[in-house]
Amino acid sequence: MRKKFKGGLLAAAFVFVASTSAIAIPSVVSVSSAGAATQVPLNLANEQGELWSCAFNPFVPTSSPYSVGLTYETLDFVDSLQSGKVTPWLATGYAWSNSNKTLTFTIRPGVKWSDGKAFSAADVVYTFNLLKKDTALDTNAVWSVLSSVTAKGSNQVVMNFSTSAVPYFYYVAGQVPIVPEHIWKSIKNPVTYVDSAPVGTGGYVMSHCTPQNIQWTSNKSYWQKGKAVVQTVNMPAFLSNNTCNEYLATGQSQWGSQFIPNIKSYYVAKKAGNSYWFPPVANVTLFPNLKVAPLNDVAVREAISYALNRSTISTKGEYGYEPPASQDGVVSPTFSSWASSAAVSKLGTGYNPSKAKSVLEADGYKMGSNGFFSKNGKELKLSIITNGGYSDWVATEQVMAQELGKVGIDANPETPSATTFASDVYTGNYQLAYDVESGGPTPYYEMRQWLFSKNSAPEGKAAATNWERFSSPAVDTLLNSYGSTTSAATQHSIVSQLENVMVTQFPVIPVLEEVDWFQFNSKDFTGYPSASNPYAQPGLYNEPDWGYVLDNIKPVS
Amino acid sequence: MRFLVRRLGFLLVALWAALTLNFFIPRLMPGNPAESMMARFRGHVNPAALHALEVAFGIGGHQSLVTAYFEYLGNTLRGNLGISTSYFPLSVTSVILKALPWSLGLVGLSTVVGFLIGTAVGAIAAWRRGGKMDSVLPPTFIVISAFPYFWVGLLAIWLFAVTLNWFPILGGYSETAVEQWSWPFAGDVLTHAILPAFTIVITSIGGWILTMRNNMITVVAEDYVKMARAKGLKNQRILWQYAGRNAMLPSLTGFAMSLGFVISGAILVEYVFNYPGLGFMLLQAVQTEDYPLMQALFLLITVAVLLAIFVSDIVTAILDPRTRVRA
Amino acid sequence: MSRLRPLTRALLGAWRFLRRDKKALVGSIILLVLLVVATFPSWFAHDNPAAEIYTPGAGLSWHHLLGTTSFGQDVYSQLIYGARQSVFIALIVGAFCTVVSVAVGITAAYSGGLIDDTLSLVTDVVLVIPTFPLIIVITAYVKSASFWLLVAVLVFTGWSYGARQLRVQALSLRNRDYLLAARARGESSWYVITVELIPPMTSLIVANFLSAALYAVLAASALQFIGLGNINTESWGTMLYWAENNEALQTGLPLWALAPGLAIALLGSALALLNYAFDEVANPALRPVSVKKMKKRMRKLGASA
Repeated sequence: MRKKFKGGLLAAAFVFVASTSAIAIPSVVSVSSAGAATQVPLNLANEQGELWSCAFNPFVPTSSPYSVGLTYETLDFVDSLQSGKVTPWLATGYAWSNSNKTLTFTIRPGVKWSDGKAFSAADVVYTFNLLKKDTALDTNAVWSVLSSVTAKGSNQVVMNFSTSAVPYFYYVAGQVPIVPEHIWKSIKNPVTYVDSAPVGTGGYVMSHCTPQNIQWTSNKSYWQKGKAVVQTVNMPAFLSNNTCNEYLATGQSQWGSQFIPNIKSYYVAKKAGNSYWFPPVANVTLFPNLKVAPLNDVAVREAISYALNRSTISTKGEYGYEPPASQDGVVSPTFSSWASSAAVSKLGTGYNPSKAKSVLEADGYKMGSNGFFSKNGKELKLSIITNGGYSDWVATEQVMAQELGKVGIDANPETPSATTFASDVYTGNYQLAYDVESGGPTPYYEMRQWLFSKNSAPEGKAAATNWERFSSPAVDTLLNSYGSTTSAATQHSIVSQLENVMVTQFPVIPVLEEVDWFQFNSKDFTGYPSASNPYAQPGLYNEPDWGYVLDNIKPVS
Repeated sequence: MRFLVRRLGFLLVALWAALTLNFFIPRLMPGNPAESMMARFRGHVNPAALHALEVAFGIGGHQSLVTAYFEYLGNTLRGNLGISTSYFPLSVTSVILKALPWSLGLVGLSTVVGFLIGTAVGAIAAWRRGGKMDSVLPPTFIVISAFPYFWVGLLAIWLFAVTLNWFPILGGYSETAVEQWSWPFAGDVLTHAILPAFTIVITSIGGWILTMRNNMITVVAEDYVKMARAKGLKNQRILWQYAGRNAMLPSLTGFAMSLGFVISGAILVEYVFNYPGLGFMLLQAVQTEDYPLMQALFLLITVAVLLAIFVSDIVTAILDPRTRVRA
Repeated sequence: MSRLRPLTRALLGAWRFLRRDKKALVGSIILLVLLVVATFPSWFAHDNPAAEIYTPGAGLSWHHLLGTTSFGQDVYSQLIYGARQSVFIALIVGAFCTVVSVAVGITAAYSGGLIDDTLSLVTDVVLVIPTFPLIIVITAYVKSASFWLLVAVLVFTGWSYGARQLRVQALSLRNRDYLLAARARGESSWYVITVELIPPMTSLIVANFLSAALYAVLAASALQFIGLGNINTESWGTMLYWAENNEALQTGLPLWALAPGLAIALLGSALALLNYAFDEVANPALRPVSVKKMKKRMRKLGASA
């Protein structure tokens, strides 16, 4: 199984920056006559290795990717590919007050649930208080900073935070799906609620579900006129990548989120209109366990970073689909405007084997006759673990081990099963671990996930995101200062300072850039996100993004 | 009577052993399903939500192993199999019921067909000992049965589905078809079942041929068959009604067991062909550490096998009085 | 008496057997070749099978007899080095399974009574437990399924069928005159079992070894294929795993997937052919007869009627 995440961003960490509240509706193809009776269905290719459970509970990670965005909508849409650009959705506007501790939303009038009942601010208040009551539903941990959510007047919702919480906007406005109070209030246990016939405000209604296929049809009374015009959408269940890729390559599917080996010959060349775009969104990173020798030594970490020929690793491990990452932690080109020139110039190309060796020698390591460094009689020998269920990560791990071997670091790749791997990474039972964070709409989110000491935990206890267990009061202060500013310039300057931490202390070592897997065929449908119009993440496992994209796709007339 | 008691005793002990194994396997595994679920959904733990999920999954209670063990036995006997964590929040029973018909249909039918063909070929081969058929078919199928069947499946897909485009490549039926009782849907299901069924049949025939041929050769040498021949009975009649019937008896237990194992699906065939059956589900339950589902499937398989064996024991005992004494 | 004589006799017997039985001959030759390759892979391939140093996805050439993988590894040398795991797993698991089957089956048959009841029950229980699912669970449980873990798991799940068969045969031998006589002479149980009981069962034991080995090859490669073996080592099942994950068949590298599958099939066939042949030795009634002789006998039967 190739690595591909399910939807459901479960981010404990948080924070958002986003400069602007500019309201821009993505430019899409002009409204076409959606009534054509012969419209072909839009078939999706999204291998999840499981049969569909036909559950659509938007708060449970196993089912939320199939309802959040297309059936259940959020207050705003926050675009992670455009540094957090905000587009109004169920809210028409928002405002910060009380030194960024109070957030007031104005709720959209005239919206109806798919069962015909009217949507109102009361539903929003109900939803947030539902998460407060039942912690298991609060997968984004919004109540770790919220103190109250109340209605104000007939169409406003006021959220009070316990601290300046600008970055939390991404989670409260962009990640929490709003559910109808009139249905959910009578549900006894919302955690185990199947929600087999979801009622939402969104553009698509789940119309038929079997273990082998989910079918949605467009919501005839959708409040956004001219949107959500694809009549029928199918998402067959694929149990293995091969069959899913074949389905996509032969043109039976027009939108896919697959890892396809040799994509040019296997996919693009096979059918006219087949195309792909893999926008980078986060870093796949080597986490050095800072609590164990020799990785508590910055020189060793620096040597590892310079020893890795990231473009070779990208070509061999990922067919070049995941581009080389930078040690400064900024994903390019998605977040290029955030890269600090000082950090970039310090790094050079990032690959420098002779520097790796000299750093180790300056640190007291000596090259032995067997080609490996050692210090005080101890050989520089490290084990790398990664998720044994992701064959591309395993392949990448093997190339990394070969690269490290070339500069005299004896690295041993190990491939524990998915659960063992997760458990080991969370509790700090490893030397080097190759894993990924969820990131967010700006580089700040991922850096906070890596570096904020509150996201760490004592060894043996599960750490939320700071798995290498980095801890620095100065960095914590820096991270916190970002939370209370809405100035883009200040935010950029804070991120620059964090990049400096990345290239001097090497707390974690980004290797490749995690991308969104996205293939599409333009023959029957148009309006997909693209490099020139990156209005949402196109991967079929990103919620609410893919539902948002679905609203904007049009049939080619 | 003693025979029946012994078989029942075996049934109970085997059932208990399976239940106990079932209880301990998940407790030996590292991590827990809540963590596994978090990891699959992008590797971020919200400690509060994680804890709440663990509670929802019923993990992390502080009862002793003994209490938990008896509670598990009690729940299972009452048919309470719990909630699946990978298909959360569906109950294990409903998840299994979705996949059961597919495995029964595909694997069950293929097993029966494989058994019938193999047994017939084995019988004829033994009857015409040393003949052309005997020197070609049994060795050929025995060699084929030594092929890795998932690889045979991969080749079949590549050849017949991808390259020649004769068959669909995936699933139990066309992805957008609606499950219903109708001829077009039945035809759809059938075309989807041909390749996986072919894979199962062709790799399972060899074993049946070998067993039947061996038994048949022994039986043919027995006096009553010689007698029948001497009496000038028609060959066909001796072959099927005299020798065949008796030679088949020892195959019955094996056949019963493989029928029981139908419940487990042909794991890799289902995996390779994307077939929505129990075998695939089991593999998935293991990969996602869905203990309740895993336990239920194990139990179901064991019970099915035990029942099948029990029935075959009874049938054999009725058909062949000697076994009653021997056991 | 020379100590060599039993060995010479055995070899001669084996030779006669092979000459007479083409299936056994073919099986033995394949097995022997694979065994040599598995033991001395460097005689046959010079490339490091793991090194990703060539042009990815290269076609056939003198340098790459079977092309390269999409990672730039030499498929031919992977195939050669991969032989080791599969062949050794077959032999080792076969051997251990046989030892356990013989021990359990014969102890049960020889002792009788409660011991027999208990051992038979255990055997039957292990027999009905769903083997492959259990293997999947166990291998998923450990970090990286090492060679010896795989062996242990396969032995644990693979001995019961043989034990059952051996018990039945030992039971039928138990009350033969020569065994009773040996007991009456006051020979120790150990002597009776090893000298009098086991030798007549040799061919069944060999047949058991072969079928356990075959089971091991297929089960191990299936596990490796779904990624539950150690995917960082070379084996045919692992090659299939990587080939499958990189769509070798569909992206113009069919040999990457065909070669290891064929190799497993070859090893499996060799074991199956030998097994088929040994069945005939174990059960004299199955020995091949020529069609002519058979016809003659039939005629005689008809005549006497």
